[in-house]
Amino acid sequence: MHELTIAENIIKMVELEVGKRKPDQKIRRIVFQAGRMNAIIPESLTFSFDTIKKYHANLAEAELVIQILPITVRCQSCGSESTIDEPEFSCQHCSGTEIEMLSGSEMFVESIEIDEE
Amino acid sequence: MKLFIVRKVLEANAKIADEIRRKMICSDTLLINIMSSPGSGKTALLETLIPRLQKRGVRVGVIEGDITSTRDAERLQPLNIPISQINTEPFGGDCHLGTEVILPALEPFDLEKTDIIFIENVGNLVCPAEFDTGAALNVVLISVTEGEDKPLKYPLMFRVCQHALISKIDLLSVLDFDVEFLKTNILKINPKIKISEISSKTGKGIDEFIDKLIRFSGKDDIAKSKC
Repeated sequence: MHELTIAENIIKMVELEVGKRKPDQKIRRIVFQAGRMNAIIPESLTFSFDTIKKYHANLAEAELVIQILPITVRCQSCGSESTIDEPEFSCQHCSGTEIEMLSGSEMFVESIEIDEE
Repeated sequence: MKLFIVRKVLEANAKIADEIRRKMICSDTLLINIMSSPGSGKTALLETLIPRLQKRGVRVGVIEGDITSTRDAERLQPLNIPISQINTEPFGGDCHLGTEVILPALEPFDLEKTDIIFIENVGNLVCPAEFDTGAALNVVLISVTEGEDKPLKYPLMFRVCQHALISKIDLLSVLDFDVEFLKTNILKINPKIKISEISSKTGKGIDEFIDKLIRFSGKDDIAKSKC
Protein backbone atom coordinates (compact mmCIF):
# COMPACT_ATOMS: atom_id res chain seq x y z
CA MET A 1 0.00 0.00 0.00
CA HIS A 2 3.03 2.30 0.18
CA GLU A 3 2.61 2.56 -3.61
CA LEU A 4 0.05 5.38 -3.21
CA THR A 5 2.46 7.55 -1.20
CA ILE A 6 5.23 6.70 -3.65
CA ALA A 7 3.04 7.71 -6.61
CA GLU A 8 2.29 11.03 -4.86
CA ASN A 9 6.00 11.62 -4.27
CA ILE A 10 6.83 10.83 -7.91
CA ILE A 11 4.22 13.32 -9.13
CA LYS A 12 5.38 16.04 -6.72
CA MET A 13 8.98 15.61 -7.80
CA VAL A 14 8.18 15.53 -11.52
CA GLU A 15 6.05 18.69 -11.30
CA LEU A 16 8.86 20.43 -9.44
CA GLU A 17 11.56 19.38 -11.92
CA VAL A 18 9.52 20.17 -15.02
CA GLY A 19 8.26 23.41 -13.46
CA LYS A 20 11.87 24.57 -13.04
CA ARG A 21 12.70 24.05 -16.72
CA LYS A 22 9.63 23.93 -18.92
CA PRO A 23 6.49 24.88 -17.02
CA ASP A 24 3.15 24.02 -18.61
CA GLN A 25 4.72 21.24 -20.70
CA LYS A 26 2.71 18.07 -21.07
CA ILE A 27 4.56 15.13 -19.55
CA ARG A 28 4.60 12.02 -21.72
CA ARG A 29 6.59 9.47 -19.80
CA ILE A 30 8.28 9.08 -16.43
CA VAL A 31 10.90 6.39 -15.88
CA PHE A 32 10.88 5.24 -12.26
CA GLN A 33 13.43 2.82 -10.83
CA ALA A 34 13.12 0.88 -7.59
CA GLY A 35 15.24 -1.80 -6.03
CA ARG A 36 13.84 -5.25 -5.31
CA MET A 37 14.15 -4.53 -1.59
CA ASN A 38 11.55 -1.80 -1.92
CA ALA A 39 8.90 -4.44 -2.52
CA ILE A 40 7.00 -2.38 -5.04
CA ILE A 41 4.06 -4.07 -6.71
CA PRO A 42 4.19 -2.52 -10.22
CA GLU A 43 0.45 -3.07 -10.79
CA SER A 44 -0.40 -1.22 -7.55
CA LEU A 45 1.94 1.63 -8.35
CA THR A 46 0.52 1.96 -11.88
CA PHE A 47 -3.00 1.92 -10.48
CA SER A 48 -2.15 4.58 -7.86
CA PHE A 49 -0.34 6.74 -10.40
CA ASP A 50 -3.17 6.51 -12.96
CA THR A 51 -5.72 7.35 -10.27
CA ILE A 52 -4.06 10.56 -9.10
CA LYS A 53 -2.53 11.79 -12.36
CA LYS A 54 -6.00 12.91 -13.51
CA TYR A 55 -5.86 15.72 -10.98
CA HIS A 56 -2.68 17.12 -12.51
CA ALA A 57 -3.23 18.77 -15.90
CA ASN A 58 0.33 18.27 -17.18
CA LEU A 59 0.34 14.62 -16.22
CA ALA A 60 -3.11 13.50 -17.36
CA GLU A 61 -1.70 11.49 -20.27
CA ALA A 62 1.61 10.53 -18.72
CA GLU A 63 2.80 6.96 -18.69
CA LEU A 64 4.77 5.61 -15.74
CA VAL A 65 7.51 3.16 -16.72
CA ILE A 66 8.57 1.05 -13.75
CA GLN A 67 11.99 -0.62 -13.72
CA ILE A 68 12.86 -2.96 -10.87
CA LEU A 69 16.59 -3.14 -10.19
CA PRO A 70 18.41 -6.14 -8.70
CA ILE A 71 19.95 -6.24 -5.24
CA THR A 72 23.73 -6.11 -5.54
CA VAL A 73 26.13 -6.56 -2.64
CA ARG A 74 29.85 -6.51 -1.92
CA CYS A 75 31.36 -9.02 0.49
CA GLN A 76 33.55 -7.45 3.19
CA SER A 77 35.56 -10.66 3.57
CA CYS A 78 36.43 -11.65 -0.02
CA GLY A 79 35.59 -8.38 -1.78
CA SER A 80 33.52 -9.99 -4.52
CA GLU A 81 30.32 -8.44 -5.79
CA SER A 82 27.19 -10.46 -6.41
CA THR A 83 23.48 -10.20 -7.07
CA ILE A 84 21.04 -11.51 -4.49
CA ASP A 85 17.93 -13.32 -5.71
CA GLU A 86 16.70 -14.76 -2.43
CA PRO A 87 16.22 -12.81 0.79
CA GLU A 88 19.36 -14.29 2.28
CA PHE A 89 22.15 -11.82 2.80
CA SER A 90 25.29 -13.82 2.38
CA CYS A 91 28.10 -13.77 -0.18
CA GLN A 92 27.51 -16.02 -3.22
CA HIS A 93 31.25 -16.79 -3.35
CA CYS A 94 32.50 -17.33 0.20
CA SER A 95 29.17 -17.41 2.14
CA GLY A 96 30.41 -14.48 4.26
CA THR A 97 27.63 -12.57 6.01
CA GLU A 98 29.43 -9.22 6.39
CA ILE A 99 28.05 -7.74 3.21
CA GLU A 100 27.46 -4.21 2.09
CA MET A 101 24.46 -3.42 -0.09
CA LEU A 102 25.49 -1.56 -3.23
CA SER A 103 22.06 -1.15 -4.79
CA GLY A 104 18.55 -2.48 -4.66
CA SER A 105 16.95 -0.48 -1.86
CA GLU A 106 16.48 2.97 -3.30
CA MET A 107 13.84 4.56 -5.47
CA PHE A 108 14.59 7.11 -8.15
CA VAL A 109 12.89 9.08 -10.86
CA GLU A 110 15.42 8.43 -13.61
CA SER A 111 14.02 10.57 -16.41
CA ILE A 112 11.02 12.51 -17.62
CA GLU A 113 9.90 12.85 -21.23
CA ILE A 114 8.01 15.99 -22.14
CA ASP A 115 6.40 17.19 -25.38
CA GLU A 116 8.75 18.97 -27.76
CA GLU A 117 7.98 22.64 -28.24
CA MET B 1 12.58 15.73 -25.06
CA LYS B 2 13.99 13.62 -22.27
CA LEU B 3 15.10 15.16 -18.99
CA PHE B 4 17.45 12.98 -16.94
CA ILE B 5 17.01 13.91 -13.32
CA VAL B 6 17.83 10.83 -11.15
CA ARG B 7 16.35 12.05 -7.89
CA LYS B 8 15.40 9.94 -4.91
CA VAL B 9 11.63 9.60 -4.72
CA LEU B 10 11.48 9.77 -0.93
CA GLU B 11 13.99 12.60 -0.56
CA ALA B 12 11.34 14.95 0.88
CA ASN B 13 10.72 12.43 3.67
CA ALA B 14 14.46 11.85 4.17
CA LYS B 15 15.10 15.58 4.50
CA ILE B 16 12.60 15.95 7.35
CA ALA B 17 13.99 12.75 8.92
CA ASP B 18 17.43 14.39 9.04
CA GLU B 19 15.87 17.49 10.61
CA ILE B 20 14.23 15.29 13.28
CA ARG B 21 17.54 13.51 13.96
CA ARG B 22 19.30 16.85 14.45
CA LYS B 23 16.54 18.01 16.81
CA MET B 24 16.85 14.82 18.87
CA ILE B 25 20.65 15.02 19.08
CA CYS B 26 20.48 18.66 20.18
CA SER B 27 17.99 17.91 22.96
CA ASP B 28 19.70 14.61 23.87
CA THR B 29 16.49 12.65 23.33
CA LEU B 30 16.50 9.06 22.07
CA LEU B 31 13.81 8.52 19.43
CA ILE B 32 12.86 4.85 19.04
CA ASN B 33 10.62 3.63 16.22
CA ILE B 34 8.70 0.46 17.08
CA MET B 35 7.31 -1.53 14.19
CA SER B 36 5.56 -4.89 13.73
CA SER B 37 2.58 -6.65 12.22
CA PRO B 38 -0.77 -5.77 13.80
CA GLY B 39 -1.11 -7.69 17.06
CA SER B 40 2.55 -8.50 17.75
CA GLY B 41 2.40 -6.55 21.02
CA LYS B 42 3.70 -3.03 20.42
CA THR B 43 1.28 -1.42 22.87
CA ALA B 44 1.69 -4.26 25.39
CA LEU B 45 5.46 -3.79 25.25
CA LEU B 46 5.09 -0.07 26.01
CA GLU B 47 2.69 -0.84 28.89
CA THR B 48 5.32 -3.05 30.52
CA LEU B 49 8.45 -1.21 29.45
CA ILE B 50 7.51 2.37 30.36
CA PRO B 51 6.82 1.88 34.11
CA ARG B 52 10.19 0.12 34.43
CA LEU B 53 11.92 2.98 32.63
CA GLN B 54 10.11 5.46 34.91
CA LYS B 55 11.40 3.55 37.95
CA ARG B 56 14.90 4.16 36.67
CA GLY B 57 14.12 7.88 36.39
CA VAL B 58 13.83 7.91 32.61
CA ARG B 59 11.38 10.50 31.27
CA VAL B 60 9.35 8.96 28.46
CA GLY B 61 6.97 10.20 25.76
CA VAL B 62 5.03 8.31 23.11
CA ILE B 63 3.94 9.17 19.60
CA GLU B 64 0.94 6.98 19.00
CA GLY B 65 0.36 6.01 15.40
CA ASP B 66 -2.77 3.98 15.93
CA ILE B 67 -4.35 5.64 12.95
CA THR B 68 -7.79 4.05 13.17
CA SER B 69 -8.62 4.85 16.77
CA THR B 70 -7.32 6.35 20.00
CA ARG B 71 -7.50 2.96 21.78
CA ASP B 72 -3.75 2.49 22.08
CA ALA B 73 -3.31 6.00 23.48
CA GLU B 74 -6.11 5.27 25.98
CA ARG B 75 -4.32 2.09 27.09
CA LEU B 76 -1.22 4.16 27.83
CA GLN B 77 -3.12 6.93 29.71
CA PRO B 78 -2.57 5.36 33.19
CA LEU B 79 1.20 5.75 32.73
CA ASN B 80 0.72 9.49 33.03
CA ILE B 81 3.18 10.37 30.28
CA PRO B 82 2.89 12.82 27.40
CA ILE B 83 1.30 11.09 24.41
CA SER B 84 1.10 12.64 20.98
CA GLN B 85 -1.67 11.04 18.97
CA ILE B 86 -1.22 11.04 15.22
CA ASN B 87 -4.51 12.07 13.72
CA THR B 88 -7.06 9.32 13.33
CA GLU B 89 -9.51 8.30 10.69
CA PRO B 90 -12.37 6.04 11.87
CA PHE B 91 -12.29 3.72 8.85
CA GLY B 92 -8.57 3.30 8.52
CA GLY B 93 -5.93 5.64 7.27
CA ASP B 94 -2.42 5.54 5.97
CA CYS B 95 -0.25 2.45 6.08
CA HIS B 96 2.81 4.06 7.68
CA LEU B 97 3.95 7.20 9.50
CA GLY B 98 5.83 9.64 7.30
CA THR B 99 7.99 12.40 8.72
CA GLU B 100 5.39 14.95 7.61
CA VAL B 101 3.21 13.66 10.48
CA ILE B 102 6.01 12.81 12.94
CA LEU B 103 7.60 16.26 12.95
CA PRO B 104 4.37 18.01 14.06
CA ALA B 105 3.70 15.15 16.51
CA LEU B 106 6.96 16.05 18.29
CA GLU B 107 5.71 19.59 18.96
CA PRO B 108 3.81 18.88 22.22
CA PHE B 109 6.89 17.40 23.94
CA ASP B 110 9.29 19.39 26.06
CA LEU B 111 12.31 17.71 24.47
CA GLU B 112 14.73 19.13 27.02
CA LYS B 113 12.83 17.22 29.68
CA THR B 114 12.30 14.01 27.72
CA ASP B 115 14.88 11.21 27.57
CA ILE B 116 13.15 8.71 25.28
CA ILE B 117 10.29 9.07 22.80
CA PHE B 118 8.79 5.91 21.41
CA ILE B 119 7.02 6.01 18.06
CA GLU B 120 4.40 3.27 17.94
CA ASN B 121 4.21 2.88 14.19
CA VAL B 122 1.26 1.53 12.21
CA GLY B 123 0.95 -2.26 12.40
CA ASN B 124 2.43 -3.26 9.06
CA LEU B 125 5.70 -4.93 8.06
CA VAL B 126 5.95 -3.44 4.57
CA CYS B 127 5.31 0.29 4.40
CA PRO B 128 6.82 1.55 7.67
CA ALA B 129 10.15 -0.05 6.68
CA GLU B 130 10.28 2.20 3.65
CA PHE B 131 9.85 5.51 5.45
CA ASP B 132 12.67 6.85 7.61
CA THR B 133 11.11 8.44 10.71
CA GLY B 134 14.26 10.15 11.94
CA ALA B 135 14.51 7.65 14.83
CA ALA B 136 17.96 6.73 16.12
CA LEU B 137 16.82 3.18 16.72
CA ASN B 138 14.44 0.99 14.73
CA VAL B 139 12.96 -1.95 16.60
CA VAL B 140 10.83 -4.70 15.08
CA LEU B 141 8.63 -6.99 17.15
CA ILE B 142 7.75 -10.45 15.94
CA SER B 143 5.59 -12.65 18.14
CA VAL B 144 5.82 -16.41 18.47
CA THR B 145 2.29 -16.73 17.14
CA GLU B 146 3.56 -15.58 13.74
CA GLY B 147 5.58 -17.68 11.28
CA GLU B 148 9.28 -18.40 11.69
CA ASP B 149 9.75 -17.48 8.02
CA LYS B 150 8.32 -13.97 8.38
CA PRO B 151 11.72 -12.23 8.13
CA LEU B 152 12.22 -13.84 4.71
CA LYS B 153 8.87 -12.47 3.55
CA TYR B 154 9.54 -8.93 4.78
CA PRO B 155 13.29 -8.53 4.30
CA LEU B 156 13.42 -4.74 4.16
CA MET B 157 11.88 -4.45 7.64
CA PHE B 158 14.53 -6.71 9.15
CA ARG B 159 17.30 -4.89 7.24
CA VAL B 160 16.34 -1.42 8.52
CA CYS B 161 16.05 -2.46 12.19
CA GLN B 162 18.93 -2.60 14.64
CA HIS B 163 16.97 -4.64 17.14
CA ALA B 164 14.44 -7.48 16.84
CA LEU B 165 12.25 -8.45 19.78
CA ILE B 166 10.72 -11.91 19.79
CA SER B 167 7.53 -11.30 21.78
CA LYS B 168 4.93 -13.39 23.65
CA ILE B 169 7.50 -16.04 24.65
CA ASP B 170 5.22 -16.94 27.59
CA LEU B 171 3.13 -18.80 24.97
CA LEU B 172 5.98 -21.04 23.79
CA SER B 173 4.93 -23.98 25.95
CA VAL B 174 1.64 -24.34 24.06
CA LEU B 175 3.00 -23.67 20.56
CA ASP B 176 5.10 -25.60 18.09
CA PHE B 177 7.28 -22.61 17.46
CA ASP B 178 10.98 -22.89 16.70
CA VAL B 179 12.64 -19.78 18.17
CA GLU B 180 16.09 -20.81 16.92
CA PHE B 181 14.78 -21.17 13.36
CA LEU B 182 13.25 -17.68 13.59
CA LYS B 183 16.57 -16.29 14.82
CA THR B 184 18.42 -17.99 11.96
CA ASN B 185 16.01 -16.39 9.49
CA ILE B 186 16.36 -12.95 11.08
CA LEU B 187 20.15 -13.21 10.92
CA LYS B 188 20.04 -14.34 7.27
CA ILE B 189 18.49 -10.96 6.46
CA ASN B 190 20.54 -8.89 8.88
CA PRO B 191 23.60 -10.51 10.46
CA LYS B 192 24.22 -7.40 12.60
CA ILE B 193 20.78 -7.15 14.21
CA LYS B 194 20.48 -7.65 17.98
CA ILE B 195 17.80 -10.12 19.05
CA SER B 196 16.02 -10.33 22.42
CA GLU B 197 13.26 -12.63 23.63
CA ILE B 198 10.57 -10.94 25.68
CA SER B 199 7.20 -11.42 27.32
CA SER B 200 5.30 -8.25 28.08
CA LYS B 201 2.91 -10.36 30.15
CA THR B 202 5.46 -11.90 32.54
CA GLY B 203 8.10 -9.20 32.12
CA LYS B 204 10.71 -11.71 31.03
CA GLY B 205 13.52 -10.12 29.03
CA ILE B 206 12.22 -6.57 29.50
CA ASP B 207 14.94 -5.40 31.91
CA GLU B 208 17.61 -6.90 29.67
CA PHE B 209 16.15 -4.93 26.76
CA ILE B 210 16.25 -1.75 28.88
CA ASP B 211 19.92 -2.42 29.64
CA LYS B 212 20.55 -2.67 25.89
CA LEU B 213 18.72 0.63 25.30
CA ILE B 214 20.83 2.28 27.96
CA ARG B 215 24.02 0.91 26.39
CA PHE B 216 22.80 2.11 22.98
CA SER B 217 22.23 5.61 24.30
CA GLY B 218 25.96 5.61 25.09
CA LYS B 219 25.44 6.57 28.72
CA ASP B 220 25.42 4.69 32.01
CA ASP B 221 22.06 6.18 32.71
CA ILE B 222 19.63 7.53 30.11
CA ALA B 223 18.09 9.88 32.66
CA LYS B 224 20.14 13.02 32.93
CA SER B 225 19.83 16.58 34.06
CA LYS B 226 19.34 19.01 31.24
CA CYS B 227 20.05 22.73 31.16
